Amino acid sequence: MLPRRGSVLFVVPLLALSLFLVGCPKRPATQVASAPAPGVATPPPAMAAPAPAPATPPPSQPPATTPAPAAPAAPAPPTATPTPAPATPPRPSEFADNPNLKDIHFDFDKYDIRPEDAKILDANATWLKANPRNLVLIEGHCDERGTAEYNLALGERRAKSTMNYLVGQGVAANRITVISYGKERPLCSEKTEACWARNRRAHHLVKAQ
Amino acid sequence: MRHGRSVSVILVAVLVAASGGIMWSPRPAQPQQQPADVWLNVLGTGAKKINIAVPDFTLVSGTDPYALVKQVPGVLGNDLNFSGLFSVLAGTPAIPANNPGALKEAWAGFATSGAHAALHGLMTTRGDRVEVEMRLYDLTSPEQRMIATKKFEMPVPQARRLSHRMADDIVLQFTGEPGIADTKIAYTGAAGGIKEVYVMDYDGVSAVKMTTTQSINLSPVWSPDTRSIAFTSYMGGYPFLYRLFAFEKRPIQLLAGYGGINSSPAWGPDGKQVALTLSKDGNPEIYLLNVSTGALRRLTNNAAIDTEPSWSPTGREIAFVSDRAGPAQIFVMDAEGTNVRRLPQTGFNTQPRWSPKGDTIAFTSRQGNHDLWAVGPDGSNLRRLTAGPGSNEGASWAPNGRHLVFQSNRLGSYQLFTMLVDGSEQHVLTKGPGEITSGAWSPRLP
Repeated sequence: MLPRRGSVLFVVPLLALSLFLVGCPKRPATQVASAPAPGVATPPPAMAAPAPAPATPPPSQPPATTPAPAAPAAPAPPTATPTPAPATPPRPSEFADNPNLKDIHFDFDKYDIRPEDAKILDANATWLKANPRNLVLIEGHCDERGTAEYNLALGERRAKSTMNYLVGQGVAANRITVISYGKERPLCSEKTEACWARNRRAHHLVKAQ
Repeated sequence: MRHGRSVSVILVAVLVAASGGIMWSPRPAQPQQQPADVWLNVLGTGAKKINIAVPDFTLVSGTDPYALVKQVPGVLGNDLNFSGLFSVLAGTPAIPANNPGALKEAWAGFATSGAHAALHGLMTTRGDRVEVEMRLYDLTSPEQRMIATKKFEMPVPQARRLSHRMADDIVLQFTGEPGIADTKIAYTGAAGGIKEVYVMDYDGVSAVKMTTTQSINLSPVWSPDTRSIAFTSYMGGYPFLYRLFAFEKRPIQLLAGYGGINSSPAWGPDGKQVALTLSKDGNPEIYLLNVSTGALRRLTNNAAIDTEPSWSPTGREIAFVSDRAGPAQIFVMDAEGTNVRRLPQTGFNTQPRWSPKGDTIAFTSRQGNHDLWAVGPDGSNLRRLTAGPGSNEGASWAPNGRHLVFQSNRLGSYQLFTMLVDGSEQHVLTKGPGEITSGAWSPRLP
C-alpha cells in the first residue's frame, strides 16, 4: 500500500468542512449538563441516560471502623478484624477554630517537628491540659507541589507527628483525632516559597464536650 | 517530536489561517516549509498513515433535518485522525444513492489523489432512530474491492456514538484491534474549593456532572465493566472511599470508611476487588477490598508510606509507591504482597499507571516540576514522555495502551491533555471552567 506521489493536491472544501466540524469540536469547553441526554428512546445497554447520580446524604453514622453499606441493596459486609481505635470521632464540621491553639509548620517533604514549632506545641499542650473537656481535631496539610494521593499520606504524617508530640507533653491521646487534607485545602495559591511554607501546616480545632 | 504531515492537514491549516481562524485542525498549524513529497505521513514509529476518504454519507431513505449525513462522518473523521493511524480526507459531497458509476468515479478520483481506503456510509432514518450501513473499500486493489460492510444503529440523539463505534470498527479492520473512540473520560472539576466528579466523551464533549456532594472528591477510577466509578470523598467529613454508578440511577455507595485515609482506589481486572490505601492500622498501607463482601486483605506491612496501587492487566502484579527506601519511588509486588522489587529510577516518583497492554508503567517524576515518564515492568526502557512546560502528571491509559490522558498546567490552570505512548501528539482536551484534574480513561463501553 505505497502512497502515490504526485503533484495533485487534494482539495478540501474547507468552509463546508468547518461547518460540519463546528458541530463536532475537538477542543470544546467542558459543558456541564446536569440533565440526562435528551430523548433516549431505547437506550443501548450501559448508555442509559447518564444522569448524575444523586448524592446520598453522607452516612449518618460517624466514621466507623468497619465499612457500612449506604445502599440498601448492598450486602452487609462481614465485620473486619476490629482495630484498637478510639470511639468514632465527631464530624470535622463539629469542631471549631480556637485562638489559643496556633498552627505549626513543616519543611518541604518533611513531617518532623522543628524546634520553633515545638515551642508552639508546648503552649498548645498547656492550654489543652488546662481545658480537658475539649476534643481536638488536628488537620495535616501540604503545599501544592506534590501529587494529590501522596500528599494525603504526607498530610496525615504531619497531623500524627503533631499529635504524638502533644501526647508526649501529657495531652490524653483519646482526646485527639487526626485528618489529612493533603494539598486540597490551601490557605493561599501563589506559587511562591512564602505561600508554600504557609500551606505546609498542622491546624488544631476543638469541640467542647 | 514532529514528523512530516500529510498535505491535506497542511492545506487545511493554511486555509484556516487564510479564512480567519475557523477552528478545525486537530493539530496546531504547521510551519509552511514542507518536504516536496506530499504523502510523507509518517507516524512517530516511522510507519505510514493510511489515507482514507470519508465523503458525506448518502441518505438512502428518511429525512435528515439535523444534517447527520455531514455530522456523523465529520465526527468519525475526527476519531480516525485522533487514532494517529489515519490521515482523513473528509467533507466531499455524498455519493448519489444507487449509482455504481458515480461510486466508481469517486473512488477512482480519491485513488488518484493518493487515498488508500474509502468509506461509503448509507444512512437511513426511521422516526427517532438512525441506521448507517458502513462500506469500507480498499482503493489500492485494482478493482477497488469492498473489504467490509457493517450496519450500526442508534437513537438520533446518540448519533455521535454511531460515529465512534464505526471509527472503532474501521480501526479494527486495519489493525486487528478496535479503536478507542467509544470511551469516556472521568475527571474532577474544581470550583470554589469544591471538587466534583464529571464524565465526558473521550473527545471532550458532553460533560455530565456525576456528584453534587459540595465537598472534595478525588481520584475517580472506572471499574472494568464501566458500570462504577470508585473515588475518595470528604462528603462524610473524613476521606472515605465510595463508588457511584455511571449509567444507572443508583445512589452513591460507601466502599470503605475506616479511620484515617481511605484512598487511591484501583480496580482489579476481574472487577471484584479494589486495591486501595488505608491508614487504619497506623500508617498508609495497601489492601485489597472485596467489593461485594467488604472483606479486606492486607498487602504491605511497612512503617513507610505505601500507596497508589496500580494493577498489571493480568492481575498478577501491583505497582505502587513507597518511601521505604528514601524518597517516594515506584515498586512492584505480586498481588499477594510478596516479591517486592524496586524499579530502577532516581528522584521522587509517584502515580504509577500500568498500561492495559502490560508492557509499560507510566509514572510521574518530580524534578522541580512534575513530568511523565515510562518504564518497562522489568525496569528496562526507562524514558521521559513530557519535558514541560509546567507540570504534567496523573496519566491514565486508554484501553488500547497507545493513548494517555494527563493533567498539565502548561496553559495556566490544570487541564486535561492527551498524547501517544511515545510522548508525541500532545493536545489539550479541556478548557475549564475551573481546574480539571485526575483524568481517568474508561474501558471500551459495552
